Amino acid sequence: MKGSLLYIGQRTLLIAFTALAVSSIVFIGIHRLPGDAFVSERLRPSQQQALLHQYGLDRPLLVQYRDFMTNLVLHGDLGQSVANRGVRITPLVLREATVSAEIGAAALIFTIGLGLLFGVAGAIRQNSWVDYALSATSVVGFSMPNFVIATFLLLVFGIWLQNLTGGGFFYEIGWDGAYGNPAEIIVPAFALGFPYASFVARLTRASMLEVIRQDYIRTARAKGLAEQVVIVRHALRNALIPVVTILGPLVIGIVTGSVVIENIFGIPGLGKEFVQSILNRDYNIVIGVFTGYAALIGLANLTVDLIYPLIDPRIRY
Amino acid sequence: MATQQATVDQLIAAPVARAQVGLWTDAWRRLRRNRLALVSAAYLIALAATALVGIVYTPYPYAHQGVGLPYQGPSAAHLLGTDQAGRDILSRMIIGAQISLIVGLATQTVVVVVGVPLGLVAGYFKGWIDTALSFVISVFYGIPDILVAMILIVIIGKPGLGTIIVAIAATRWMDMARLTRGQTLSLREREFIEASRATGGRSTKILFGHLLPNALGPIIVQATLGIPAAILFEAFLSFLGLGVPPPTPSWGSMAADGIHAMRISPHIVLAPAIGLSITLMAFNFLGDGLRDALDPRQKR
Repeated sequence: MKGSLLYIGQRTLLIAFTALAVSSIVFIGIHRLPGDAFVSERLRPSQQQALLHQYGLDRPLLVQYRDFMTNLVLHGDLGQSVANRGVRITPLVLREATVSAEIGAAALIFTIGLGLLFGVAGAIRQNSWVDYALSATSVVGFSMPNFVIATFLLLVFGIWLQNLTGGGFFYEIGWDGAYGNPAEIIVPAFALGFPYASFVARLTRASMLEVIRQDYIRTARAKGLAEQVVIVRHALRNALIPVVTILGPLVIGIVTGSVVIENIFGIPGLGKEFVQSILNRDYNIVIGVFTGYAALIGLANLTVDLIYPLIDPRIRY
Repeated sequence: MATQQATVDQLIAAPVARAQVGLWTDAWRRLRRNRLALVSAAYLIALAATALVGIVYTPYPYAHQGVGLPYQGPSAAHLLGTDQAGRDILSRMIIGAQISLIVGLATQTVVVVVGVPLGLVAGYFKGWIDTALSFVISVFYGIPDILVAMILIVIIGKPGLGTIIVAIAATRWMDMARLTRGQTLSLREREFIEASRATGGRSTKILFGHLLPNALGPIIVQATLGIPAAILFEAFLSFLGLGVPPPTPSWGSMAADGIHAMRISPHIVLAPAIGLSITLMAFNFLGDGLRDALDPRQKR
């Protein structure tokens, strides 16, 4: 127990350090062109100078960097938006990170739930039509870009079903509030999770087929256990181990996908903010969101690592 | 019975080994049997031909607004209909195919030119070079590639095809370097490399004359499978508004235009979405076919 706590502490420190390093790199890389956000406003040179001064963008880069780091480390303050004046970035990023985490977690449930279901069904009915249908679905799911899947979902649930049912059941594009309700979350989470679910299904099927032929499965059957118990408790548990090892890359993939999905579905998360702030040249927010992403990915990976020992007791920290 | 015995005798008499063929002939023979890969290759050749024709001829000028009424569905005059600005979607799809193919091929060229030598050197010399490379690769793998590419586009600051190619290549070279490194690590212990070293072969000769040709099969497969990844990446970036600047069309930006008009005319988004899906699948099937043909020992 003490070991685990120590491990969590170390990992949290490492996440904080990574986030700091990432934000430094982005800060230095991006600050070649200060005040780009003001250019589009066609200000008089004197006004622009005044704005640059107000934000401290006219100071030497090293001084700016020192102040940025002190504020970030001591107060957790990422500064304020340049395009939307007066908006503080830290609370903004924190709120958006929870929205992204909400969608990401829902997508991860889809990925693992559907992936395991399809994989196990394909493996225990190997070479039947169920298996072939599921394999075909996996190939399609994995080669289709997630924004194409999202587009088809929007067409079907957002438009055709609305015409069909007269609006009784359809998906409204865009969230009305800062947080989604379950009905709003389910379609984007599916679009985000489905390509990876196909991948998990392929992996699960292959490792189930291997496990199911092992002697201890025959033993379990021989001693008269019910088939469900054999599959779920004995086979699936061991087939899960290779699946668990790809959870880390899976989390990264879902974060990547969320950038696109959030923009399609109008979800007010980190991904939408990131693209918007790049297009607005609001570099302060770009740095903030990137730092938020680094922390979010670190935390997600830590959670994944803490799940490992629950599935494979040989792993300890 | 007698004739059967004769055939058996003939078979026994026939030389056991078939005529010797090289790696490439052998690979081609295997690839020819894979129907899915052949269909994919045919589709991709047709796509490339269409894109080439598009340099000199498109049904309508791709950037001209109002060559037809806006939001029109497919018709004889406009085979894929028109978009929200009354531009011909087929013409824009052809130019978009050019962009996709250029990005796919150019990115993979950069990736091969950067990744292969790095992997060869790291795998052959090991030591601190290898440690440094592995560290950089693991750092890159820890950050989502799309974020790195987007930040790079911001830092480079000039929107355009070159920027996109650099940004995508910067997130893709690690796969190639890692693969080449792995191949080199196992190849360098083989006898023919030891022989070359023993007879005083120079390092450059060993790296590019002996190691590279023997690692070429997996490198070709990886490069082929990297093309759809790069095309998808470009579509992502253009979809988000960070790709090639308008009016140059890209399948990604066309899909983004179409999404806004989906309620009234879904055909605008369907054309690039379906084109992209089919092209990506074709590249993936061809890559899988090449892998089976070039490296029959490897089982999926």
